[in-house]
Amino acid sequence: MKSKKPNPKRVLAIDPTSRGFGYVVLESPATLVDWGVKATRPKEETRALAKVLELIRHYRPEIIVLEDHRGSRRCARIQTLLDKVWRLAATEGLKCHHFQTSRIKQVFRTFGANTKHEIAHAVAQQLPELAPRLPRYRKAWMSEEYGMAIFDAAALALTYCYSKPVRSHSTLN
Amino acid sequence: MASHKLPNYLRVYRKRLGLSQNDVAFLLGWRNASQPSRYEHFSRIPTLRTAMALSVIFQASVHELFAGEYQKLESAVRRQAERLEARFTTENPDQATSRKLALLKTIISSEDNRI
Repeated sequence: MKSKKPNPKRVLAIDPTSRGFGYVVLESPATLVDWGVKATRPKEETRALAKVLELIRHYRPEIIVLEDHRGSRRCARIQTLLDKVWRLAATEGLKCHHFQTSRIKQVFRTFGANTKHEIAHAVAQQLPELAPRLPRYRKAWMSEEYGMAIFDAAALALTYCYSKPVRSHSTLN
Repeated sequence: MASHKLPNYLRVYRKRLGLSQNDVAFLLGWRNASQPSRYEHFSRIPTLRTAMALSVIFQASVHELFAGEYQKLESAVRRQAERLEARFTTENPDQATSRKLALLKTIISSEDNRI
């Protein structure tokens, strides 16, 4: 007798940075389909949005996960970009979920990860494909590594997988 | 797993192994990476020979690499099996027909458990 398989949805998580955005595509908490950083010139939001649209059209995800910038210290440009990505996702018919950084930290605390670096390690343990891209430990005077955006996006996607969404597209505006 | 599979997972397998498109092209005996890129962007479907070569490179079965294509073909074959079953059941089944009907039933009732 064959049992019906669970049917989770394909998730695209995006984390914008000053030089583009990091993204991951998950089919389950352990199945990574794609990951990377899309680079755009600073202040080239149209190009960044075009690249997001390209990802959406290619992978046809059911859900997009973004950072909830309310109360965060992200710069105004990133906040605007996140809103634009959300609107783009809505026009493409995707369900949009937002998580605040505090929620991500709360989820990863259960894995014993408190700092951003520890969260990246926890993500690499969960998704071993990302282990080679794990950034070295950042000292106070060092700038953040380019590939860290992938781990931020993966943390967002895993937060979605492990928790009930707190904010959906219907409540944002 | 997602409800609808991607046509192929070549990019996933390639990135997992840390290979570039140029490396894959070289392993396939090609000069440049344009063709592997087309496969990864779902704009071309490789030939059976190439699909088998990709299976060797990525150490995965063809139906794992081309899960979406496999899913599409599987449902198409299942539909045809239903039509063929209907054709056979109208006749008086002899031993050979009964064997065919049993096979068709297996095809129709089979779920995709390999991917």
